[in-house]
Amino acid sequence: MAPHPALEKLREQLGCLEETQRRFSRTIPVADAVDRWMPHGGLPAGCIHEVKGASLASALAFSSILSARIAGEQGNIVYIAPDRSLHPLGLLPYGMRLDRFLLVSVRRSQDLFWAVMEALRCPQVSAVMTVLDGADLTASRRLQLAAESSGATGFLLGHVTSAPIAAPITRWKVSSNVGKPGQRFDEPAWTLDLLYCRGGRPGSWTIEWRNQRLSTLFNQLATQTTCEALAG
Amino acid sequence: MARCFLSLFCPAVTSEKLTQLVEWCGRYSPLVAADGSDGVILDITGGTHLFGGEGTLLLDLKRRLHRMDVKSQAAIADTWGAAWALARYGKRFIVHGENAVSALAHLPVEALRLPNEIVLELRRLGLSTISAVKKIPRGSLAARFGATLLWRLDQTFHQAEEPLTPWRPPAHYRASRILAEPISTVGAVEYVLRDLIQEICKRLENNHLGSRHMDLACYRVDGTVDRCELRTSKPTRSVPHLMRLFDGTLDTLRSGFGFETFVLSVLDIEALYPKQLSLSQAEPVKEESSFDALIDRFSMRLGFQEVNRIRVRESFLPEQAVEFRPTTAPAAASAEWPAYRVRPVRLIDPPMRIEVSILIPGESPVQLFIGHRKHRIVRSEGPERLTAEWWRDKPSRWDTRDYYRIEDDQGFRFWIFRDPSEHWFLHGHLP
Repeated sequence: MAPHPALEKLREQLGCLEETQRRFSRTIPVADAVDRWMPHGGLPAGCIHEVKGASLASALAFSSILSARIAGEQGNIVYIAPDRSLHPLGLLPYGMRLDRFLLVSVRRSQDLFWAVMEALRCPQVSAVMTVLDGADLTASRRLQLAAESSGATGFLLGHVTSAPIAAPITRWKVSSNVGKPGQRFDEPAWTLDLLYCRGGRPGSWTIEWRNQRLSTLFNQLATQTTCEALAG
Repeated sequence: MARCFLSLFCPAVTSEKLTQLVEWCGRYSPLVAADGSDGVILDITGGTHLFGGEGTLLLDLKRRLHRMDVKSQAAIADTWGAAWALARYGKRFIVHGENAVSALAHLPVEALRLPNEIVLELRRLGLSTISAVKKIPRGSLAARFGATLLWRLDQTFHQAEEPLTPWRPPAHYRASRILAEPISTVGAVEYVLRDLIQEICKRLENNHLGSRHMDLACYRVDGTVDRCELRTSKPTRSVPHLMRLFDGTLDTLRSGFGFETFVLSVLDIEALYPKQLSLSQAEPVKEESSFDALIDRFSMRLGFQEVNRIRVRESFLPEQAVEFRPTTAPAAASAEWPAYRVRPVRLIDPPMRIEVSILIPGESPVQLFIGHRKHRIVRSEGPERLTAEWWRDKPSRWDTRDYYRIEDDQGFRFWIFRDPSEHWFLHGHLP
């Protein structure tokens, strides 16, 4: 007897759900309050994440913290950018290990996407950080599939004004806060907005980088309207 | 072992054409050099059988040059000097051993590659042929003409060495394919290339070596040469990996009327021992998908200078402290960076001139203007004074710089400095 079509459909749907479950099984801790808020208990590894910064420097530092956590002692981190403005010494306070860091400069814009894809496909790469000016639905889907195939995590950085990535797993906005008097410049405070999270809700936190930890200062829920406005 | 030189004489070629010819002659031998401004010299010792013997080689060379519309004469002899003389003044074109003496005897003294004034002097004395010069006792020749004449005579008649400096460094390994028909499609080139790489890799494997630097020369029918260079960050002899690296560059070859000869040379080698796989290891990472292979693919497509590791230098100056070191360069130790020296994550190069307002002279500014935007400073840290390092060859643009880390009322953080003439510059962005 042929199986009932409705039953087949249900099986298919369940399969998809299991796939999603497996995909998000490995997560990276961000900060306690943030992890509790995220649907998978942290930032899923092996996915692409968009990090927008009010200044590119904040986005760089924030994704460095997360990349360094994924890479640990042995993992490789690849940074791909069209220019050489990155000063690697500035990343040292954010847990980055320079001996596992590969810096790739791409002169021709058509090579940038190729390089990011190649890096994401390599199973020995832990994290890829790149400055990408937007990606359409097809491009971001391809990036996501490449990341899934190897388990590498991609951080697509950009300035808030740059074009968005069409379909990332999460989208963050990092903006720097005015520090308290006497606060050190290598331990900054940021406002962290989770503008989009697949399977979760947007959120907003004020966090501080201190003693190699991100700690939440106070928790606040971002209203739907502000998130939409920011996501623009 | 008897050496074998081929001298090619091409009167009336331009210097560009000559360079092109030297490169093209690489198809016959790796030891090729330009000979003056109108000739090429090839050391073809032990390689003539590949072309069906000396006579066939010479014919082949002349036929190809004729097709390229180059007027030429060529000769093969045991010494550079004899080959040179025969190519320019000779009647016989392949001369070996004792025959050289009789073949060169009646040639004019110009054939000895002498400076003009010595030739004139010899002619004035009625010594117009080589045999006439050889009859004079060596002592008197030396007294009259100095060492040059004797030296040239000895070189021609195999009594003194004459080393050849090839215009390209000699390869450690070299494999070549000469095709019966020219090919021009990427697929066909790929087929030949795979064949060459397999041969080279087999030889490398037998000697436990890996290639760091390869060079593929593709000889076109019209006598021009296209080259693809390939450097890798680790020694390799994996055929699929090398094929994949060459893959991107094959599209850039311009085949023109087709390629007829391919030469693959290994220019740099390193020891590469076979790796013992452990039994417990479930599945070893394939070499093609490893991180080193990724680095090689990046270097190949983006350029070797664009893929870098970071090395921290012993310097506090921001422009000196970090070295972007290509992965193909040998590894070097990195210095420790003191944590209290907080640096920006993005550097502006060169530093941007900015206008500031200061309340108290010698203190950090209270306002700064980047372009037309005004930033009100709420917090600052500094100064951190950096002075020029006298032991460096390249002097810095500034003797002394006082750096401040500052934050404006929006939370943006900058790294600025003041030079001795009280000008302010923005040098970086802090997170």
